[in-house]
Amino acid sequence: MSDATGFDGTTESDVRAAFESEDYVAGDEIVTTVTLALRLGKPLLVEGEPGAGKTELAKVLAGGFDAELLRLQCYEGLTAESALYEWNYTKQLLSVQGNEGEGSVFDEEYLLERPLLSALRGEGRRVLLIDEVDRADEEFEALLLELLSDFQVSVPELGTVSATTPPAVIITSNRTRGLSDALKRRCLFLHVAPPSFEKERAILERKVPALDAAVVAELCAMAGRLREEPLLKPPGAAETIDWARAIDALRDGNEDSLDDAEIRNTLGCLLKEVEDIERVDDELLASLREAAERARVEAD
Amino acid sequence: MKPTEHVREELVRFVRALRRAGVSVPANAGTTAARALVAVGFDDRERARVALRASLVPEQADVATFDELFAEFWRRLTAGLDPNGPAERPDDPPDGGLAPLGAEAAPGERSESDDGNGKNGDADETRDGLGTVVGRGTEAAGENVTTARYSPTGRSEEIATFAMPDEEGFDDAFDKLTRALAELAGRRWTTGEQRPDIRRALRASVGTGGAVVDLPERERARTALRVRVVVDVSRSVLDVIERPFLLRFLQRAHTIWRDTRAFFFDEDLREVTDSFDAPSSDAALAALERAEAEWGGGTHIGASLDRLRTEFPYAVDRRSVLVVVSDGLETSDVSVLERAMAELSRTAAAVLWLNPLAASPAYEPSARGMAAALPYLDGLFAFAGPDDLADLARQLRRQGSHGAIGYEHDRRRTERRTHQQRTT
Repeated sequence: MSDATGFDGTTESDVRAAFESEDYVAGDEIVTTVTLALRLGKPLLVEGEPGAGKTELAKVLAGGFDAELLRLQCYEGLTAESALYEWNYTKQLLSVQGNEGEGSVFDEEYLLERPLLSALRGEGRRVLLIDEVDRADEEFEALLLELLSDFQVSVPELGTVSATTPPAVIITSNRTRGLSDALKRRCLFLHVAPPSFEKERAILERKVPALDAAVVAELCAMAGRLREEPLLKPPGAAETIDWARAIDALRDGNEDSLDDAEIRNTLGCLLKEVEDIERVDDELLASLREAAERARVEAD
Repeated sequence: MKPTEHVREELVRFVRALRRAGVSVPANAGTTAARALVAVGFDDRERARVALRASLVPEQADVATFDELFAEFWRRLTAGLDPNGPAERPDDPPDGGLAPLGAEAAPGERSESDDGNGKNGDADETRDGLGTVVGRGTEAAGENVTTARYSPTGRSEEIATFAMPDEEGFDDAFDKLTRALAELAGRRWTTGEQRPDIRRALRASVGTGGAVVDLPERERARTALRVRVVVDVSRSVLDVIERPFLLRFLQRAHTIWRDTRAFFFDEDLREVTDSFDAPSSDAALAALERAEAEWGGGTHIGASLDRLRTEFPYAVDRRSVLVVVSDGLETSDVSVLERAMAELSRTAAAVLWLNPLAASPAYEPSARGMAAALPYLDGLFAFAGPDDLADLARQLRRQGSHGAIGYEHDRRRTERRTHQQRTT
């Protein structure tokens, strides 16, 4: 099997251009690491807080390189059948009844491909996103090992299925549990930190271009200030984008500073836990306003 | 050595250092790291750092350790690839088929070997203190240039200054160090709780017809350790160290520790133990001044340590802790130093290197001599004041002489760095 993933010869400029085309704001570290993963044909294990843009990374990679995105959302109890392949039992049953045992019912005709098998058997550039792998059981991790090391899986009835052109693989984890050493051994690692003020501002300016720059600065400053609080679920970049979109929709071009009522009424876009929202009392609200005002002055 | 071999060797050394520091490096990560390094090339420090981090560090919590050790890895790597100092063209790939695979130009910073042949420090304006401090350069023409450099004609500066301690503070720190050294495990065994004593158990079983009734245990005896202090009295050291502090340290060591021998060295080595016999420090000061007056042709650390080994063959043995006080700025062949250190580290119970420059929060052991000696040390520590002695004692007490000890585990270093970042 070749290591060629369809992304051979990809340079950092290519990756940066792909991210640009998809309005994905990425620092040099992300660009270099993604380029390496593509060039070396290694799966990339992306870890970080929820909402940091891990899933988005795979999506923009596929979008930017015009590649097919195959997504496997992991969950507790995920089985090989749901991830790899299933046999079409109804069709098999009908065939057995109709043909009285002529021919095998375990061939391609009766095979239902699931994301992992599709990723192996596909042609051209593909990005396989194995999302939130930490939610799946350890047994599922074991299934991934063969796939990630050799880009092949064994289907007992059909034999070994190998990828002619392996996909680029992005695995995300929210670190709700530790992953096995065997899985980690097969991957490159990328830790996505919560965005800095500047990066978050750049993200919002791209994602919500209609929103006034000073208001964007205010939102980023307040999101950053909230991350300093011991919240149950600190807001990620995705939540800040939602918040900015909500503010944009409600304000209709108004460029004034955000007032207390606006902040309170839309805080649900940013904070997803009731306890976190209740934590925003008058004192914290004043602190948020203060951070926002400072950011507005600097933005002006 | 070929560049490919050099890269391979340094990478293996780096991976070992990471594992020793407790970083959970996956089993085959060294191979992945080598491929990643070849892919990104050697021109850009930051790219190489990202590539190795992506290959070697699965846990976010280990990133800080990685970053600290990477600085030394990169210095050694680039020094070996480019032994004559800074290259003229930063986009020159190294020989041996190690050029980046991509077609992209790779502008970026280049780390450089720092000590050359001179002893006096001279660095550009971004350097943070004298000596082996490596910092980020300013951006000029789109290129980052690293900073540390030595020139025989350069200016000399002091690192962050530490006031001479009050006597009480010094004595307190010294006492802590004395206790820590005294607690280091010796070679003899005594009754204790460390591990089963099979021999005693078998002997006792003779009386019970071969049945082991009781399982005695044993542990390493705390034996009085001998200390050998070898002090670099070259100009570069005496410029940055408080002489009263140094002399007081030696005086107390001679007085309090059971078996202490002191040596001064610069271009040669001389035993000065007798100078500390008198209660006053006059004789010691005279010995120091004499050494200063006689020597001045450049520090030969390797040759001096080799002389310690050959001229004083019984000075360092398995019960001895060898303490070297030096800034590690070697002016002659570092291979001599490397050989001497290898031999001494095999012989001594422990080798501790006290470096006055390591008191700077930005210090990295990147001087040629220091880097050559580093693999053979049990620990490299700051040596500028009583706080450094106290920290040395703290680390020895907690980790022993063979644990994860050294300047990089000095809590104050992180605090000073944070403070510096805040003030800048």
